[in-house]
Amino acid sequence: MWRISLCAGYRSFECRIVGIKGLWGSRVVRTCSTPAIPTGRITALQAVDLWKNHFAERGVMEPDHSSRHIIAYLLGAKTIESLERRKLTEFLSPEITEQMWSLCSRRLSRMPVQYVIEEWDFRDLTLKMRPPVFIPRSETEELVELVLTDLEMRPGPGAGVEAPHTCLEVGCGSGAISLSLLKSLPQLKVTALDQSQDAVDLTGENAIRLGLQDRLQVYHLDVIKDADTVLSLCHHVSTLVSNPPYLFSEDMNTLEPEIFRFEDHAALDGGTDGLKVIKQILTLAPQILSNHGRVYLEVDPRHPPLIRRWVEANVQEMCYEETRHDASGRPRFCILRRVKSNKDHKLDLD
Amino acid sequence: MWRLPPPFISCMHCVSGRVVWGGPGRVPALLRPLPAGLTCVFASGKKDLTNFPVLNEDELEEQFVRGSGPGGQATNKTSNCVVLKHIPSGTVVKCHQTRSVDTNRKRAREIMREKLDVVYKGELSEVLVKKKASELRKQDKRRKANENLERKRLFREALAADPKPGNGTA
Repeated sequence: MWRISLCAGYRSFECRIVGIKGLWGSRVVRTCSTPAIPTGRITALQAVDLWKNHFAERGVMEPDHSSRHIIAYLLGAKTIESLERRKLTEFLSPEITEQMWSLCSRRLSRMPVQYVIEEWDFRDLTLKMRPPVFIPRSETEELVELVLTDLEMRPGPGAGVEAPHTCLEVGCGSGAISLSLLKSLPQLKVTALDQSQDAVDLTGENAIRLGLQDRLQVYHLDVIKDADTVLSLCHHVSTLVSNPPYLFSEDMNTLEPEIFRFEDHAALDGGTDGLKVIKQILTLAPQILSNHGRVYLEVDPRHPPLIRRWVEANVQEMCYEETRHDASGRPRFCILRRVKSNKDHKLDLD
Repeated sequence: MWRLPPPFISCMHCVSGRVVWGGPGRVPALLRPLPAGLTCVFASGKKDLTNFPVLNEDELEEQFVRGSGPGGQATNKTSNCVVLKHIPSGTVVKCHQTRSVDTNRKRAREIMREKLDVVYKGELSEVLVKKKASELRKQDKRRKANENLERKRLFREALAADPKPGNGTA
């Protein structure tokens, strides 16, 4: 599965190893782009050290973390810290050594670690990752926490208290938000959309892996181009949640190679002011949400005041409730509530 | 670079070492009134070992790598170590048990509560030990003083009963 084009020097002895220090001594002449796989056996810690240095030399970000994540994964653990000392200091099998070299070589090309090991954790879930589907960020874990707190406090939109909540996620990516909510709230039902077929597929795969597919519907839809279809699918939704593309177009060029070269730009680029998809979501929200239903958005730190002003001027049925900050102190989350307007006669659920 | 987690509740009087006893909860503890005195709680005998102190987010500083840029979609960092510091006691907890930053933050807080439990109970124990030691010293002093008095009394009695020769008449 990890067949990559290796340079001619790999595994051959064109890498001249001279001197008593051996492979990683000062006398090594590197004629190839990856360090040669060692002829003798090495330990996990030695492999981590070797690749950490190599990543650093080649300007790969987080050289230490990258090699540690990869070795941990190969040794069946989530983190290197959870491995016994003994496991780290005994010799790696030839198979694992080869896999380490193979995966680390992919990391050399600036492929994000999450794509290299094809998985990552989001809150208490382990999700499959696959390029170019957007990799969930740590801020989005906090978005889920906000939604959960809200849903746990509110009664369902239906007649009785037992009526389950429904949720719509716009731009589900790998399914992180939807699946997190479903895992934590056994009564919840979720509809998820993404304009990328790859994302729709990956969300579906992750749902099945986690046994949550029964309460999740995933659709391949673009919230802008397929607005009518979206509206026909979603009614009286309790909560609309989204981590929409919110970067400013001009900032796309300053992205680190890990993101720029490997992740779907459509999941990142929010247009000139980063608000293209956000505005569309808020425009459709009144027709999707039940009365007093809420929208939870993750946004760029510059967005909250812009969104507030725009909604006040353009979407009478949505009330801007609150801006919340992420753990780094940046304005990150916008919470809005659907309210009745003078024109609104259809929804009368209270 | 340390920074206080938002939202910052403006509360100038609460920066002293305030630890409130209570049970666990998802939402960080809101400010609660200070109990009458920790020694009162201790002396009441209701020492529940699972009753760890509730954390006051105002007294915590959190550090993790998110970079100085905008964060969010613009960054993809895999380092997820969380370092949590309890300002009043100087207790530091480091957690990189999982690949999820959110989980590490929660675990760091759990560990902090366990540590603070020891820190504060430990201090109280120390106070008691010192108290106990000074009690013992007082008791010792009293005992010795009593013994001295007793010896003097016996000596006087002995003198009265058996005066030294050469004092009386033949």
